[in-house]
Amino acid sequence: MKKNVRFGLLLSAAALLVAGCGSPGAPVDPAPVSTVERPQPANAAVETDVEGGGSSQQECDPTASLAPDGSIPAGSTMDEIRDRGYLIAGVDQNTFLFGFRNPTTGMLEGFDIDIVKEIANEIFGDPNAVQFRAISSAQRIPVLQDGTVDIVARTFSITCERLKDINFSTVYYVAGQRVLVDENSPVQGIGDLGDKRVCATKSSTSLRNIVAADPKPVPVSVDDWSDCLVMLQQGQVDAVSTDDTILAGMAEQDPTVKIVGDRFTDEYYGIGIPQENDDMVRFVNAVLERVRGGLWQASYDRWLRARLGQSAPPAPNYR
Amino acid sequence: MTSTVTPRGPGVPAVPGSEPPDEPRGPRSGIAWLLELPANAVRSITRSAATTPGRFSLIAAGLIVLSLLTGVIGTVAVQDRANTIEGLIDHREPMTAAAQEVYRSLSDADATAASAFLATGAEPPELRERYEFDIAKAGAALAKAAADSGSVAEAAEQVNIINQQLPVYTGLVETARANNRQGFPAGAAYLREASALMRAKILPAAQELYEIDTERLVAEQDDATGVPWVTALLTLGLLAALIATQIYLKRKTNRVFNVGLVVATIAVAVAVLWSATALTVQSVLVSGGRGDGTEQADLLVRARIAALQARADETLTLVARGGGESYEEQFGELTGQLAGADGQGGLLAVAADRAQGHPSAAHIDSAVRNAAAWREAHAQLRELDGSGNYQDAVRLAIDESTEDTAAAAFSRLDRDLAAAIGAGRQIFVDDTTNASRAMTLLAPGFAVLAVIAALGTTLGIRERLREYR
Repeated sequence: MKKNVRFGLLLSAAALLVAGCGSPGAPVDPAPVSTVERPQPANAAVETDVEGGGSSQQECDPTASLAPDGSIPAGSTMDEIRDRGYLIAGVDQNTFLFGFRNPTTGMLEGFDIDIVKEIANEIFGDPNAVQFRAISSAQRIPVLQDGTVDIVARTFSITCERLKDINFSTVYYVAGQRVLVDENSPVQGIGDLGDKRVCATKSSTSLRNIVAADPKPVPVSVDDWSDCLVMLQQGQVDAVSTDDTILAGMAEQDPTVKIVGDRFTDEYYGIGIPQENDDMVRFVNAVLERVRGGLWQASYDRWLRARLGQSAPPAPNYR
Repeated sequence: MTSTVTPRGPGVPAVPGSEPPDEPRGPRSGIAWLLELPANAVRSITRSAATTPGRFSLIAAGLIVLSLLTGVIGTVAVQDRANTIEGLIDHREPMTAAAQEVYRSLSDADATAASAFLATGAEPPELRERYEFDIAKAGAALAKAAADSGSVAEAAEQVNIINQQLPVYTGLVETARANNRQGFPAGAAYLREASALMRAKILPAAQELYEIDTERLVAEQDDATGVPWVTALLTLGLLAALIATQIYLKRKTNRVFNVGLVVATIAVAVAVLWSATALTVQSVLVSGGRGDGTEQADLLVRARIAALQARADETLTLVARGGGESYEEQFGELTGQLAGADGQGGLLAVAADRAQGHPSAAHIDSAVRNAAAWREAHAQLRELDGSGNYQDAVRLAIDESTEDTAAAAFSRLDRDLAAAIGAGRQIFVDDTTNASRAMTLLAPGFAVLAVIAALGTTLGIRERLREYR
């Protein structure tokens, strides 16, 4: 009996020892999630092989265009367009204030759209004789080269490099690149964005200016400017850097962002026209001459004045 | 014929005196007996087999064991088959339908969200309701699919992806709506982001889930139509053994009939005939439910999803406004899959071919007509958009109030396909339920017949053994 009790005690002690020694392991997590993949706009990517230097390094005078000529001789480009019955214009439908689709009416509106309508008005006497084609920044030069569109009016900066492939009208607007950040961000300008993710559209001069900045930011490229606003709102980029005009449109859509820093480039907006269509360039320049007379100011007041202050049309420069 | 052999207890010498009496006793003997059991058994069986009554007893024992074994294995197999068929109707096929519903309603939500964006002014309430209904259906079906996917890691992974991304998708769509209502183009950007997420991650996962569930359904239908070889061999072997025993007995005892064995033989023969008939009928019906039911439904589901994705492409081409060549290309590809390049082939033609004589034939014919009408309306829409009449093109794409628009033709096509899928599923349920009915009482019947065979054998051989006492 006594022996049994001692044996029992020994056994319990051994059991306790085993229980104490063996590691019990951690509690099991049946559904582990380690990372959350954020949704991204289609085609968003970090750019690694974009050359720096967009609008800042110019080896020619980009603003010089052909002298205006408002006539439409038989067999000219404008005559062909008139035979077709409508003008084909490559525009933006995602950049607030310059070229955007008004969701209430479904119509395209903005400063660029007003200019296109004026050109159509000059050819047809009808501002609505236009077929708008929404194109991305990267498509601007290809659609002109393959003749898909007659003109491109899409916050299109004139640069010497682009002049090798296509033609431009005279300057109808001068913008400058700045930086858009969250309201509580400490960033004061492009110089504070070293190693930070900065958004711009593919093939834009803005993207190349970002790459050229010092210290070097991480450039993130997207298809449309409103994709940049989406990425900023989702915290996927630290800043958007492009022309103040486009940034003003973004700030208009979101009161919790601000535009900071000085203009660090000059962007001369022109109407893009296929290289061979000199007659069209002269014709558009003639339309712009007229637009500078009053329509320019009306459109500016409607879209931009409240955000960008007083301004006047830039003077044309002819070769 | 000379002596009787009586069974002996363990450890007791078979015949006292003839074997060495010094068998070990005491605490060790239990284990020793166990160890010697096989040898002892073989020895006693060989000894029994030397005499005719001993042989009879052995044959009887063998037949009884075989009958009972056949009874147990056969009953379990038949019951298992019946359970599989019930499971097909109650669980497996509905789960495939749930996976299909996840895939379909998410595709539809994507197409509907794009249409709602094209509409101007306030969002049309019917599009809003359709989107909400799609999301609700997808959520409900996904919960069912999740409960079912536990044992299949691959399916669980797909459910996991959809479960994680769907709330993100709906969040993006709501942000898009909020921006859209204020007239901000950021709304369109959020919608594009949502659509990209749906197309790049959620829909591929939903498609994979549907494929996995379809494979599981096919595997279970295979299970329900195969030949149960073990049971078949055992039952036929039992029948052969009974007949052989009767021939042997006749030769040894010169008696033609032994009532017990005849009853046993008849019982086994009935079991063979009954189960062969029932299983054949059942297999044919399950195969019918598969060919005309689930396979046809699968074909139509693929057609419906191709149509839905083509519809999303159609609207997204207009949303992209001039920049949508890739959507338009995909539209051509998908409608090619749906109805062939000339409108005479594709999934719909295959389905129409297979549906001849079935109630779904009318729906599929109507679907073919509506697919053609849609294609026509789409060509007209593209022409309008191509010639600068964007607003008219948009009207053709989203206005369902007149009959000849792309929106109306697509709606009719979708309804036809839904009805045809419903008809296919009905054929499956009808055939498979009949298959289940063909097996009524087979499991208990098989067990009873096996017991009758065992009893008949016992009685029949005991009668012969008595003659040796």
